[in-house]
Amino acid sequence: QNVPYNASLYKRPFVESFEETPLLVAVLTYMGYGILTVFGYLRDFLRHWNIEKCHVAREREEQKDFVPLYQDFENFYTRNLYMRIRDNWNRPICSVPGAKMDLVHRVSPDYNWTFEHTGKVVKDVINMGSYNYLGFAERTGACAEAALKSTHKYGVGVSSTRCEMGNLDIHEEMEQLVARFLGVESAMAFGMGFATNSMNIPALTGKGCLILSDELNHASLVLGARLSGSTIRVFKHNNMQSLEKLLRDAIVHGQPRTHRPWKKILIVVEGIYSMEGSIVRLPEIIALKKRYKAYLYLDEAHSIGALGPRGRGVVDYFGLDPKDVDIMMGTFTKSFGAAGGYIGGKKELIDYLRTQSHSALYATSMSPPVAQQIITSMKIIMGEDGTQLGKENRLRQLSENTTYFRQRLRDMGFIIYGNNDSPVVPLMLYMPAKIGAFGREMVKRNIGTVVVGFPATPIIESRARFCISAAHTREMLDTALAAISEVGDLLQLKYSRRVQPLPSLSWSSEESLLQD
Amino acid sequence: MALGDCWKQLSWFYYQYLLVTALYMLEPWERTVFNSLLISVAAMAVYTGYVFMPQHIMAILHYFEVVQ
Repeated sequence: QNVPYNASLYKRPFVESFEETPLLVAVLTYMGYGILTVFGYLRDFLRHWNIEKCHVAREREEQKDFVPLYQDFENFYTRNLYMRIRDNWNRPICSVPGAKMDLVHRVSPDYNWTFEHTGKVVKDVINMGSYNYLGFAERTGACAEAALKSTHKYGVGVSSTRCEMGNLDIHEEMEQLVARFLGVESAMAFGMGFATNSMNIPALTGKGCLILSDELNHASLVLGARLSGSTIRVFKHNNMQSLEKLLRDAIVHGQPRTHRPWKKILIVVEGIYSMEGSIVRLPEIIALKKRYKAYLYLDEAHSIGALGPRGRGVVDYFGLDPKDVDIMMGTFTKSFGAAGGYIGGKKELIDYLRTQSHSALYATSMSPPVAQQIITSMKIIMGEDGTQLGKENRLRQLSENTTYFRQRLRDMGFIIYGNNDSPVVPLMLYMPAKIGAFGREMVKRNIGTVVVGFPATPIIESRARFCISAAHTREMLDTALAAISEVGDLLQLKYSRRVQPLPSLSWSSEESLLQD
Repeated sequence: MALGDCWKQLSWFYYQYLLVTALYMLEPWERTVFNSLLISVAAMAVYTGYVFMPQHIMAILHYFEVVQ
Protein backbone atom coordinates (compact mmCIF):
# COMPACT_ATOMS: atom_id res chain seq x y z
CA GLN A 1 0.00 0.00 0.00
CA ASN A 2 1.40 3.43 -0.86
CA VAL A 3 1.26 5.79 2.09
CA PRO A 4 1.50 9.47 1.23
CA TYR A 5 4.54 11.01 2.83
CA ASN A 6 2.93 14.37 3.48
CA ALA A 7 -0.26 13.08 4.95
CA SER A 8 -1.14 16.50 6.37
CA LEU A 9 -1.82 17.82 2.86
CA TYR A 10 -4.52 15.26 2.25
CA LYS A 11 -7.96 15.80 3.71
CA ARG A 12 -9.10 12.23 3.10
CA PRO A 13 -7.32 8.86 3.01
CA PHE A 14 -5.40 8.23 -0.19
CA VAL A 15 -5.32 4.47 -0.66
CA GLU A 16 -3.59 3.04 -3.70
CA SER A 17 -2.24 -0.41 -4.25
CA PHE A 18 -0.14 -1.94 -6.97
CA GLU A 19 0.43 -5.49 -5.82
CA GLU A 20 3.66 -7.03 -6.98
CA THR A 21 3.63 -9.66 -9.70
CA PRO A 22 3.95 -13.15 -8.18
CA LEU A 23 7.28 -14.67 -9.22
CA LEU A 24 5.86 -17.92 -10.58
CA VAL A 25 3.37 -16.02 -12.72
CA ALA A 26 6.14 -13.78 -14.10
CA VAL A 27 8.30 -16.80 -14.99
CA LEU A 28 5.40 -18.59 -16.68
CA THR A 29 4.47 -15.43 -18.59
CA TYR A 30 7.99 -15.09 -19.94
CA MET A 31 7.91 -18.79 -20.87
CA GLY A 32 4.64 -18.27 -22.74
CA TYR A 33 6.07 -15.31 -24.62
CA GLY A 34 9.19 -17.38 -25.39
CA ILE A 35 7.12 -20.18 -26.95
CA LEU A 36 5.11 -17.65 -28.97
CA THR A 37 8.32 -16.01 -30.17
CA VAL A 38 9.74 -19.35 -31.34
CA PHE A 39 6.56 -20.11 -33.25
CA GLY A 40 6.60 -16.55 -34.60
CA TYR A 41 10.03 -17.13 -36.08
CA LEU A 42 8.82 -20.44 -37.53
CA ARG A 43 5.84 -18.76 -39.21
CA ASP A 44 8.02 -15.92 -40.52
CA PHE A 45 10.34 -18.52 -41.99
CA LEU A 46 7.43 -20.28 -43.71
CA ARG A 47 6.11 -16.96 -45.02
CA HIS A 48 9.52 -15.95 -46.29
CA TRP A 49 10.00 -19.19 -48.23
CA ASN A 50 6.46 -18.99 -49.59
CA ILE A 51 5.46 -22.29 -48.00
CA GLU A 52 2.60 -20.35 -46.43
CA LYS A 53 0.46 -17.57 -47.84
CA CYS A 54 1.56 -14.17 -46.57
CA HIS A 55 -1.26 -11.85 -45.54
CA VAL A 56 0.88 -8.98 -44.29
CA ALA A 57 2.60 -6.20 -46.13
CA ARG A 58 5.99 -7.15 -47.46
CA GLU A 59 8.67 -5.26 -49.31
CA ARG A 60 8.77 -5.68 -53.04
CA GLU A 61 11.47 -7.81 -54.69
CA GLU A 62 13.44 -4.74 -55.75
CA GLN A 63 13.48 -3.40 -52.19
CA LYS A 64 14.78 -6.56 -50.54
CA ASP A 65 18.35 -5.21 -50.44
CA PHE A 66 17.34 -1.95 -48.77
CA VAL A 67 16.91 -1.34 -45.04
CA PRO A 68 14.19 -3.73 -43.91
CA LEU A 69 10.86 -2.11 -43.08
CA TYR A 70 9.07 -4.86 -41.20
CA GLN A 71 11.80 -6.54 -39.19
CA ASP A 72 11.54 -4.63 -35.93
CA PHE A 73 9.92 -6.02 -32.81
CA GLU A 74 6.70 -4.02 -33.19
CA ASN A 75 5.98 -5.55 -36.57
CA PHE A 76 7.00 -9.02 -35.41
CA TYR A 77 4.68 -8.67 -32.44
CA THR A 78 1.79 -7.48 -34.61
CA ARG A 79 2.20 -10.25 -37.18
CA ASN A 80 2.67 -13.16 -34.83
CA LEU A 81 1.09 -12.34 -31.48
CA TYR A 82 -1.50 -9.61 -31.96
CA MET A 83 -3.08 -11.17 -35.04
CA ARG A 84 -3.83 -14.43 -33.24
CA ILE A 85 -6.15 -12.76 -30.72
CA ARG A 86 -7.21 -9.80 -32.83
CA ASP A 87 -10.90 -10.67 -32.54
CA ASN A 88 -10.92 -9.08 -29.06
CA TRP A 89 -10.36 -5.60 -30.46
CA ASN A 90 -12.12 -3.36 -32.95
CA ARG A 91 -15.42 -5.13 -32.35
CA PRO A 92 -18.12 -3.26 -34.30
CA ILE A 93 -20.92 -1.91 -32.12
CA CYS A 94 -24.32 -1.31 -33.62
CA SER A 95 -26.12 0.58 -30.89
CA VAL A 96 -25.41 3.46 -28.54
CA PRO A 97 -22.55 2.44 -26.19
CA GLY A 98 -24.55 2.88 -23.00
CA ALA A 99 -24.72 0.46 -20.11
CA LYS A 100 -25.81 -2.23 -22.57
CA MET A 101 -24.94 -2.40 -26.23
CA ASP A 102 -25.32 -4.59 -29.30
CA LEU A 103 -22.33 -6.18 -30.96
CA VAL A 104 -22.05 -7.30 -34.55
CA HIS A 105 -21.37 -11.02 -34.62
CA ARG A 106 -18.38 -11.87 -36.78
CA VAL A 107 -16.41 -14.99 -37.56
CA SER A 108 -12.99 -15.49 -39.00
CA PRO A 109 -12.32 -18.44 -41.29
CA ASP A 110 -8.57 -17.88 -41.45
CA TYR A 111 -7.49 -17.21 -37.85
CA ASN A 112 -8.23 -13.48 -37.65
CA TRP A 113 -6.63 -12.33 -40.89
CA THR A 114 -10.07 -11.51 -42.31
CA PHE A 115 -13.48 -11.21 -40.66
CA GLU A 116 -16.96 -11.90 -41.98
CA HIS A 117 -20.15 -10.49 -40.55
CA THR A 118 -22.67 -13.28 -40.23
CA GLY A 119 -25.60 -10.85 -40.05
CA LYS A 120 -26.45 -11.80 -36.50
CA VAL A 121 -26.36 -9.23 -33.72
CA VAL A 122 -25.41 -10.07 -30.15
CA LYS A 123 -27.93 -8.06 -28.17
CA ASP A 124 -27.72 -6.49 -24.71
CA VAL A 125 -24.08 -7.03 -23.97
CA ILE A 126 -23.19 -5.36 -20.66
CA ASN A 127 -20.70 -2.68 -21.55
CA MET A 128 -17.74 -2.60 -19.16
CA GLY A 129 -15.36 -0.90 -21.55
CA SER A 130 -16.84 2.43 -22.64
CA TYR A 131 -15.70 5.64 -20.97
CA ASN A 132 -19.25 6.39 -20.04
CA TYR A 133 -18.57 7.44 -16.45
CA LEU A 134 -21.69 9.51 -15.88
CA GLY A 135 -23.94 7.61 -18.24
CA PHE A 136 -24.45 10.40 -20.78
CA ALA A 137 -24.09 8.03 -23.74
CA GLU A 138 -27.79 7.69 -24.30
CA ARG A 139 -30.05 8.31 -27.24
CA THR A 140 -33.08 9.57 -25.33
CA GLY A 141 -33.29 12.21 -22.66
CA ALA A 142 -32.62 15.89 -22.23
CA CYS A 143 -29.19 15.85 -23.89
CA ALA A 144 -30.35 14.07 -27.02
CA GLU A 145 -33.38 16.36 -27.37
CA ALA A 146 -31.25 19.48 -27.04
CA ALA A 147 -28.67 18.15 -29.53
CA LEU A 148 -31.48 17.42 -31.97
CA LYS A 149 -32.81 20.98 -31.67
CA SER A 150 -29.40 22.44 -32.25
CA THR A 151 -28.91 20.24 -35.32
CA HIS A 152 -32.13 21.69 -36.71
CA LYS A 153 -30.85 25.17 -35.99
CA TYR A 154 -27.19 24.99 -37.00
CA GLY A 155 -26.82 21.86 -39.09
CA VAL A 156 -24.02 19.44 -38.39
CA GLY A 157 -20.93 20.73 -40.16
CA VAL A 158 -19.21 24.02 -39.40
CA SER A 159 -17.09 24.24 -42.55
CA SER A 160 -14.45 26.45 -41.09
CA THR A 161 -11.81 26.85 -38.44
CA ARG A 162 -12.35 28.77 -35.21
CA CYS A 163 -10.31 31.70 -36.45
CA GLU A 164 -12.11 32.21 -39.73
CA MET A 165 -15.83 31.59 -39.86
CA GLY A 166 -16.31 28.72 -37.42
CA ASN A 167 -16.86 30.60 -34.17
CA LEU A 168 -20.55 30.11 -33.41
CA ASP A 169 -22.40 31.63 -30.46
CA ILE A 170 -22.92 28.12 -29.14
CA HIS A 171 -19.15 27.80 -28.83
CA GLU A 172 -18.92 31.02 -26.83
CA GLU A 173 -21.74 29.88 -24.54
CA MET A 174 -20.08 26.51 -24.06
CA GLU A 175 -16.70 28.03 -23.23
CA GLN A 176 -18.18 30.35 -20.63
CA LEU A 177 -20.02 27.41 -19.10
CA VAL A 178 -16.84 25.32 -19.00
CA ALA A 179 -14.97 28.17 -17.31
CA ARG A 180 -17.71 28.46 -14.68
CA PHE A 181 -17.77 24.70 -14.19
CA LEU A 182 -14.03 24.49 -13.58
CA GLY A 183 -13.77 27.63 -11.49
CA VAL A 184 -11.24 29.33 -13.78
CA GLU A 185 -11.28 32.70 -15.51
CA SER A 186 -11.60 31.51 -19.08
CA ALA A 187 -11.65 28.35 -21.17
CA MET A 188 -11.31 27.31 -24.76
CA ALA A 189 -12.67 24.20 -26.43
CA PHE A 190 -11.25 22.20 -29.33
CA GLY A 191 -12.75 19.59 -31.60
CA MET A 192 -10.53 16.67 -30.59
CA GLY A 193 -9.09 15.72 -27.21
CA PHE A 194 -5.86 14.28 -28.58
CA ALA A 195 -5.31 17.38 -30.69
CA THR A 196 -5.88 19.60 -27.65
CA ASN A 197 -2.80 18.14 -25.99
CA SER A 198 -0.58 17.65 -28.99
CA MET A 199 -1.31 21.02 -30.58
CA ASN A 200 -1.33 23.25 -27.49
CA ILE A 201 1.77 22.17 -25.62
CA PRO A 202 3.92 23.40 -28.55
CA ALA A 203 2.22 26.78 -28.20
CA LEU A 204 3.03 26.94 -24.49
CA THR A 205 6.66 25.85 -24.35
CA GLY A 206 9.55 25.93 -26.76
CA LYS A 207 13.30 25.66 -26.85
CA GLY A 208 14.91 26.58 -23.57
CA CYS A 209 11.98 25.33 -21.53
CA LEU A 210 11.85 22.20 -19.45
CA ILE A 211 8.97 19.74 -19.40
CA LEU A 212 8.80 17.32 -16.46
CA SER A 213 6.39 14.62 -17.46
CA ASP A 214 5.19 11.57 -15.64
CA GLU A 215 6.46 8.17 -16.76
CA LEU A 216 3.03 6.94 -17.78
CA ASN A 217 1.66 9.99 -19.54
CA HIS A 218 -0.64 9.56 -22.48
CA ALA A 219 0.66 9.51 -26.07
CA SER A 220 -0.95 12.89 -26.80
CA LEU A 221 1.04 14.57 -24.01
CA VAL A 222 4.26 12.88 -25.12
CA LEU A 223 3.65 13.91 -28.73
CA GLY A 224 2.89 17.49 -27.74
CA ALA A 225 6.00 17.66 -25.58
CA ARG A 226 8.20 16.31 -28.37
CA LEU A 227 6.69 18.65 -30.96
CA SER A 228 7.38 21.64 -28.78
CA GLY A 229 11.14 21.16 -28.92
CA SER A 230 11.61 21.59 -25.16
CA THR A 231 13.87 19.41 -23.09
CA ILE A 232 11.85 16.59 -21.57
CA ARG A 233 12.71 14.84 -18.33
CA VAL A 234 10.66 11.98 -17.01
CA PHE A 235 9.94 11.30 -13.35
CA LYS A 236 8.77 8.00 -11.90
CA HIS A 237 5.06 7.45 -11.91
CA ASN A 238 3.34 9.53 -9.20
CA ASN A 239 6.60 9.65 -7.26
CA MET A 240 7.05 13.00 -5.55
CA GLN A 241 10.62 12.37 -4.42
CA SER A 242 11.66 11.78 -8.03
CA LEU A 243 9.86 14.94 -9.14
CA GLU A 244 11.42 17.04 -6.40
CA LYS A 245 14.88 15.76 -7.23
CA LEU A 246 14.38 16.65 -10.90
CA LEU A 247 13.11 20.11 -9.98
CA ARG A 248 16.05 20.80 -7.70
CA ASP A 249 18.55 19.55 -10.28
CA ALA A 250 16.92 21.66 -12.98
CA ILE A 251 17.05 24.84 -10.89
CA VAL A 252 20.57 24.26 -9.63
CA HIS A 253 22.17 23.22 -12.92
CA GLY A 254 20.04 25.08 -15.45
CA GLN A 255 20.10 24.26 -19.15
CA PRO A 256 22.41 21.42 -20.29
CA ARG A 257 25.54 23.09 -21.63
CA THR A 258 25.17 26.79 -21.01
CA HIS A 259 23.86 26.49 -17.43
CA ARG A 260 21.50 29.37 -18.06
CA PRO A 261 18.28 29.27 -16.05
CA TRP A 262 15.34 27.56 -17.74
CA LYS A 263 12.82 29.89 -19.31
CA LYS A 264 10.00 27.96 -17.71
CA ILE A 265 9.50 24.59 -16.10
CA LEU A 266 6.23 22.84 -16.89
CA ILE A 267 5.09 19.80 -14.89
CA VAL A 268 2.75 17.64 -17.00
CA VAL A 269 0.56 15.15 -15.16
CA GLU A 270 -2.77 13.46 -15.64
CA GLY A 271 -5.72 13.36 -13.25
CA ILE A 272 -6.43 9.64 -13.51
CA TYR A 273 -4.02 7.40 -15.37
CA SER A 274 -6.27 5.11 -17.30
CA MET A 275 -3.93 2.14 -17.57
CA GLU A 276 -3.12 2.05 -13.86
CA GLY A 277 -6.23 3.48 -12.30
CA SER A 278 -4.09 5.70 -10.13
CA ILE A 279 -4.93 9.26 -9.12
CA VAL A 280 -2.28 11.96 -9.20
CA ARG A 281 -0.94 13.27 -5.88
CA LEU A 282 -2.15 16.75 -6.56
CA PRO A 283 -1.71 18.42 -3.12
CA GLU A 284 1.96 17.48 -3.08
CA ILE A 285 2.52 18.58 -6.66
CA ILE A 286 0.93 21.96 -5.99
CA ALA A 287 3.10 22.39 -2.89
CA LEU A 288 6.20 21.54 -4.97
CA LYS A 289 5.13 23.82 -7.79
CA LYS A 290 4.68 26.77 -5.47
CA ARG A 291 7.98 26.19 -3.76
CA TYR A 292 10.06 25.83 -6.92
CA LYS A 293 8.02 28.26 -9.05
CA ALA A 294 7.13 25.84 -11.82
CA TYR A 295 3.93 25.65 -13.88
CA LEU A 296 1.45 22.80 -13.78
CA TYR A 297 -0.42 21.28 -16.72
CA LEU A 298 -3.11 18.92 -15.53
CA ASP A 299 -4.76 16.60 -18.05
CA GLU A 300 -8.09 15.60 -16.57
CA ALA A 301 -9.24 13.43 -19.43
CA HIS A 302 -10.63 10.68 -17.24
CA SER A 303 -11.15 12.50 -13.97
CA ILE A 304 -13.34 15.46 -14.96
CA GLY A 305 -16.92 14.68 -14.04
CA ALA A 306 -15.93 11.37 -12.49
CA LEU A 307 -14.22 12.47 -9.28
CA GLY A 308 -15.09 14.90 -6.56
CA PRO A 309 -18.29 15.53 -4.65
CA ARG A 310 -19.43 18.11 -7.22
CA GLY A 311 -17.98 16.30 -10.22
CA ARG A 312 -15.38 19.00 -10.90
CA GLY A 313 -12.48 16.57 -11.19
CA VAL A 314 -9.27 15.96 -9.26
CA VAL A 315 -9.07 19.52 -7.91
CA ASP A 316 -12.50 19.12 -6.36
CA TYR A 317 -11.67 15.61 -5.09
CA PHE A 318 -8.76 16.94 -3.06
CA GLY A 319 -10.55 20.15 -2.10
CA LEU A 320 -7.96 22.45 -3.65
CA ASP A 321 -8.21 25.82 -5.37
CA PRO A 322 -8.53 25.64 -9.18
CA LYS A 323 -6.49 28.83 -9.45
CA ASP A 324 -3.43 26.87 -8.28
CA VAL A 325 -3.36 24.76 -11.42
CA ASP A 326 -2.03 26.92 -14.23
CA ILE A 327 -3.42 24.99 -17.15
CA MET A 328 -6.38 22.69 -16.65
CA MET A 329 -6.96 20.53 -19.67
CA GLY A 330 -9.63 17.91 -20.10
CA THR A 331 -11.75 16.12 -22.61
CA PHE A 332 -15.47 15.95 -23.17
CA THR A 333 -15.30 12.42 -24.53
CA LYS A 334 -15.45 10.54 -21.27
CA SER A 335 -17.86 11.97 -18.75
CA PHE A 336 -19.91 14.27 -20.96
CA GLY A 337 -20.77 11.90 -23.79
CA ALA A 338 -19.52 14.29 -26.45
CA ALA A 339 -16.19 14.72 -28.21
CA GLY A 340 -13.45 17.26 -27.93
CA GLY A 341 -11.17 18.84 -25.38
CA TYR A 342 -10.81 22.06 -23.46
CA ILE A 343 -8.12 24.12 -21.82
CA GLY A 344 -8.92 26.37 -18.89
CA GLY A 345 -6.82 28.92 -17.11
CA LYS A 346 -6.16 32.63 -16.75
CA LYS A 347 -7.71 34.96 -19.27
CA GLU A 348 -4.35 36.07 -20.72
CA LEU A 349 -3.33 32.46 -21.28
CA ILE A 350 -6.52 31.53 -23.10
CA ASP A 351 -6.47 34.70 -25.21
CA TYR A 352 -2.91 33.85 -26.17
CA LEU A 353 -3.94 30.29 -27.11
CA ARG A 354 -6.81 31.55 -29.21
CA THR A 355 -4.32 33.13 -31.58
CA GLN A 356 -1.28 30.90 -31.24
CA SER A 357 -2.60 27.35 -30.98
CA HIS A 358 -2.32 25.19 -34.08
CA SER A 359 -5.64 23.61 -33.31
CA ALA A 360 -7.44 26.92 -33.19
CA LEU A 361 -5.94 28.17 -36.40
CA TYR A 362 -6.15 25.12 -38.58
CA ALA A 363 -8.54 22.55 -37.18
CA THR A 364 -12.25 22.63 -37.86
CA SER A 365 -14.23 23.79 -34.88
CA MET A 366 -16.57 21.62 -32.88
CA SER A 367 -19.80 20.46 -34.43
CA PRO A 368 -22.93 22.23 -33.02
CA PRO A 369 -24.83 19.15 -31.75
CA VAL A 370 -21.69 18.03 -29.93
CA ALA A 371 -21.32 21.47 -28.36
CA GLN A 372 -24.97 21.40 -27.32
CA GLN A 373 -24.50 17.96 -25.76
CA ILE A 374 -21.65 19.40 -23.69
CA ILE A 375 -23.76 22.36 -22.60
CA THR A 376 -26.71 20.21 -21.58
CA SER A 377 -24.68 17.57 -19.78
CA MET A 378 -22.62 20.15 -17.93
CA LYS A 379 -25.76 21.95 -16.79
CA ILE A 380 -27.17 18.65 -15.54
CA ILE A 381 -24.01 17.95 -13.53
CA MET A 382 -23.96 21.47 -12.11
CA GLY A 383 -27.62 21.22 -11.19
CA GLU A 384 -28.55 24.26 -13.29
CA ASP A 385 -31.25 22.47 -15.22
CA GLY A 386 -33.48 22.85 -12.21
CA THR A 387 -33.24 19.37 -10.76
CA GLN A 388 -30.79 17.54 -8.57
CA LEU A 389 -30.91 14.50 -10.86
CA GLY A 390 -27.37 15.10 -12.05
CA LYS A 391 -25.99 14.85 -8.60
CA GLU A 392 -28.21 12.07 -7.31
CA ASN A 393 -28.48 9.74 -10.24
CA ARG A 394 -25.08 10.23 -11.73
CA LEU A 395 -22.36 11.42 -9.39
CA ARG A 396 -23.51 9.51 -6.35
CA GLN A 397 -24.28 6.40 -8.40
CA LEU A 398 -20.83 6.42 -9.98
CA SER A 399 -19.12 6.77 -6.63
CA GLU A 400 -21.14 3.93 -5.10
CA ASN A 401 -20.63 1.70 -8.11
CA THR A 402 -16.88 2.28 -8.05
CA THR A 403 -16.50 1.49 -4.37
CA TYR A 404 -18.73 -1.60 -4.61
CA PHE A 405 -17.11 -3.00 -7.74
CA ARG A 406 -13.56 -2.53 -6.52
CA GLN A 407 -14.33 -3.99 -3.11
CA ARG A 408 -16.00 -7.06 -4.57
CA LEU A 409 -13.18 -7.72 -7.04
CA ARG A 410 -10.59 -7.39 -4.32
CA ASP A 411 -12.51 -9.76 -2.08
CA MET A 412 -12.68 -12.31 -4.86
CA GLY A 413 -8.90 -12.44 -4.95
CA PHE A 414 -7.99 -10.66 -8.17
CA ILE A 415 -5.06 -8.29 -8.40
CA ILE A 416 -6.55 -4.83 -8.98
CA TYR A 417 -4.36 -1.81 -9.54
CA GLY A 418 -5.02 1.75 -8.61
CA ASN A 419 -6.73 4.05 -6.18
CA ASN A 420 -9.88 2.97 -4.37
CA ASP A 421 -11.84 5.89 -5.78
CA SER A 422 -10.95 5.69 -9.42
CA PRO A 423 -13.67 4.43 -11.79
CA VAL A 424 -11.06 2.81 -14.02
CA VAL A 425 -10.36 -0.71 -12.72
CA PRO A 426 -7.43 -2.64 -14.23
CA LEU A 427 -7.52 -6.37 -13.47
CA MET A 428 -4.23 -8.13 -14.04
CA LEU A 429 -4.06 -11.04 -16.45
CA TYR A 430 -0.29 -11.34 -17.08
CA MET A 431 -0.19 -14.35 -19.45
CA PRO A 432 -0.63 -13.73 -23.19
CA ALA A 433 -3.06 -16.58 -23.79
CA LYS A 434 -5.26 -15.37 -20.94
CA ILE A 435 -5.66 -12.00 -22.69
CA GLY A 436 -7.43 -13.67 -25.60
CA ALA A 437 -9.21 -16.23 -23.43
CA PHE A 438 -10.59 -13.58 -21.04
CA GLY A 439 -11.96 -11.41 -23.81
CA ARG A 440 -13.65 -14.32 -25.55
CA GLU A 441 -15.08 -15.94 -22.42
CA MET A 442 -16.58 -12.64 -21.27
CA VAL A 443 -18.27 -12.10 -24.63
CA LYS A 444 -19.67 -15.64 -24.41
CA ARG A 445 -21.26 -14.55 -21.12
CA ASN A 446 -22.61 -11.38 -22.76
CA ILE A 447 -20.22 -8.92 -21.15
CA GLY A 448 -18.03 -6.70 -23.29
CA THR A 449 -14.62 -5.94 -21.83
CA VAL A 450 -11.46 -4.27 -22.98
CA VAL A 451 -8.24 -6.27 -22.64
CA VAL A 452 -4.90 -4.57 -23.02
CA GLY A 453 -1.49 -5.98 -23.75
CA PHE A 454 1.84 -4.81 -25.07
CA PRO A 455 2.63 -2.08 -26.24
CA ALA A 456 0.09 -0.15 -24.18
CA THR A 457 1.35 -1.87 -21.01
CA PRO A 458 4.70 -3.42 -20.03
CA ILE A 459 5.06 -6.80 -21.68
CA ILE A 460 4.27 -9.06 -18.76
CA GLU A 461 1.67 -6.79 -17.17
CA SER A 462 -1.25 -7.28 -19.50
CA ARG A 463 -4.62 -6.46 -18.01
CA ALA A 464 -8.34 -6.21 -18.50
CA ARG A 465 -9.65 -2.71 -17.91
CA PHE A 466 -13.16 -2.09 -16.61
CA CYS A 467 -14.72 1.37 -16.76
CA ILE A 468 -17.54 1.77 -14.28
CA SER A 469 -20.47 3.88 -15.33
CA ALA A 470 -23.25 5.62 -13.46
CA ALA A 471 -25.61 3.92 -15.90
CA HIS A 472 -24.75 0.49 -14.48
CA THR A 473 -27.37 -0.70 -12.03
CA ARG A 474 -26.50 -2.90 -9.08
CA GLU A 475 -27.98 -5.92 -10.89
CA MET A 476 -25.77 -5.35 -13.93
CA LEU A 477 -22.70 -5.07 -11.73
CA ASP A 478 -23.67 -8.26 -9.89
CA THR A 479 -24.13 -10.13 -13.17
CA ALA A 480 -20.79 -8.83 -14.38
CA LEU A 481 -19.08 -9.74 -11.10
CA ALA A 482 -20.52 -13.26 -11.15
CA ALA A 483 -19.28 -13.75 -14.70
CA ILE A 484 -15.85 -12.31 -13.86
CA SER A 485 -15.57 -14.66 -10.89
CA GLU A 486 -16.56 -17.62 -13.03
CA VAL A 487 -14.06 -16.73 -15.73
CA GLY A 488 -11.46 -16.04 -13.05
CA ASP A 489 -11.89 -19.56 -11.69
CA LEU A 490 -11.87 -21.07 -15.17
CA LEU A 491 -8.70 -19.25 -16.19
CA GLN A 492 -7.08 -19.25 -12.71
CA LEU A 493 -6.78 -15.47 -12.53
CA LYS A 494 -7.12 -15.02 -8.78
CA TYR A 495 -3.46 -14.33 -8.17
CA SER A 496 -3.69 -12.08 -5.14
CA ARG A 497 -1.66 -13.19 -2.18
CA ARG A 498 -3.02 -10.71 0.29
CA VAL A 499 -4.83 -12.05 3.32
CA GLN A 500 -8.47 -12.06 2.32
CA PRO A 501 -10.81 -10.49 4.87
CA LEU A 502 -14.01 -12.38 5.62
CA PRO A 503 -16.64 -11.24 3.15
CA SER A 504 -19.02 -8.79 4.79
CA LEU A 505 -22.49 -10.18 5.05
CA SER A 506 -24.23 -7.12 3.69
CA TRP A 507 -22.67 -4.23 1.88
CA SER A 508 -24.35 -1.12 3.17
CA SER A 509 -24.87 1.80 0.88
CA GLU A 510 -24.08 4.31 3.61
CA GLU A 511 -20.45 3.56 2.90
CA SER A 512 -20.54 5.86 -0.09
CA LEU A 513 -17.53 8.15 -0.11
CA LEU A 514 -19.50 10.93 -1.75
CA GLN A 515 -19.56 13.54 0.94
CA ASP A 516 -21.76 16.55 0.65
CA MET B 1 -20.27 -40.97 -13.82
CA ALA B 2 -16.83 -41.03 -12.25
CA LEU B 3 -15.28 -41.39 -15.70
CA GLY B 4 -17.19 -38.32 -16.89
CA ASP B 5 -15.93 -36.28 -13.91
CA CYS B 6 -12.42 -37.58 -14.49
CA TRP B 7 -12.64 -36.59 -18.14
CA LYS B 8 -13.89 -33.11 -17.18
CA GLN B 9 -11.05 -32.64 -14.70
CA LEU B 10 -8.45 -33.81 -17.23
CA SER B 11 -9.85 -31.53 -19.88
CA TRP B 12 -9.69 -28.59 -17.41
CA PHE B 13 -6.02 -29.41 -16.73
CA TYR B 14 -5.33 -29.55 -20.46
CA TYR B 15 -7.01 -26.12 -20.82
CA GLN B 16 -4.76 -24.71 -18.06
CA TYR B 17 -1.69 -26.19 -19.78
CA LEU B 18 -2.79 -24.54 -23.04
CA LEU B 19 -3.24 -21.18 -21.32
CA VAL B 20 0.03 -21.19 -19.39
CA THR B 21 2.19 -22.27 -22.33
CA ALA B 22 0.31 -19.92 -24.68
CA LEU B 23 -0.61 -22.83 -26.94
CA TYR B 24 -4.18 -21.50 -26.69
CA MET B 25 -3.26 -18.84 -29.21
CA LEU B 26 -1.63 -21.17 -31.71
CA GLU B 27 -3.23 -22.98 -34.61
CA PRO B 28 -3.96 -26.73 -34.27
CA TRP B 29 -0.99 -27.84 -36.36
CA GLU B 30 1.36 -25.70 -34.25
CA ARG B 31 -0.09 -27.28 -31.12
CA THR B 32 0.56 -30.74 -32.59
CA VAL B 33 4.16 -29.82 -33.38
CA PHE B 34 4.80 -28.47 -29.86
CA ASN B 35 3.03 -31.36 -28.12
CA SER B 36 4.87 -34.01 -30.13
CA LEU B 37 8.21 -32.32 -29.44
CA LEU B 38 7.41 -32.12 -25.72
CA ILE B 39 6.19 -35.73 -25.53
CA SER B 40 9.16 -37.08 -27.47
CA VAL B 41 11.64 -35.21 -25.25
CA ALA B 42 9.83 -36.41 -22.11
CA ALA B 43 9.67 -39.98 -23.44
CA MET B 44 13.38 -39.95 -24.21
CA ALA B 45 14.12 -38.69 -20.69
CA VAL B 46 11.96 -41.40 -19.12
CA TYR B 47 13.54 -44.10 -21.32
CA THR B 48 17.05 -42.95 -20.42
CA GLY B 49 16.09 -43.03 -16.76
CA TYR B 50 14.73 -46.53 -17.20
CA VAL B 51 17.87 -47.78 -18.98
CA PHE B 52 20.28 -46.31 -16.44
CA MET B 53 18.24 -46.99 -13.32
CA PRO B 54 20.03 -50.26 -12.30
CA GLN B 55 23.46 -48.64 -12.69
CA HIS B 56 22.41 -45.59 -10.66
CA ILE B 57 20.91 -47.73 -7.87
CA MET B 58 24.06 -49.92 -7.71
CA ALA B 59 26.18 -46.74 -7.48
CA ILE B 60 24.07 -45.39 -4.61
CA LEU B 61 24.18 -48.67 -2.71
CA HIS B 62 27.93 -48.86 -3.30
CA TYR B 63 28.34 -45.34 -1.92
CA PHE B 64 26.44 -46.14 1.23
CA GLU B 65 28.46 -49.36 1.53
CA VAL B 66 25.34 -51.52 1.60
CA VAL B 67 26.76 -53.78 -1.11
CA GLN B 68 30.38 -54.29 -2.23
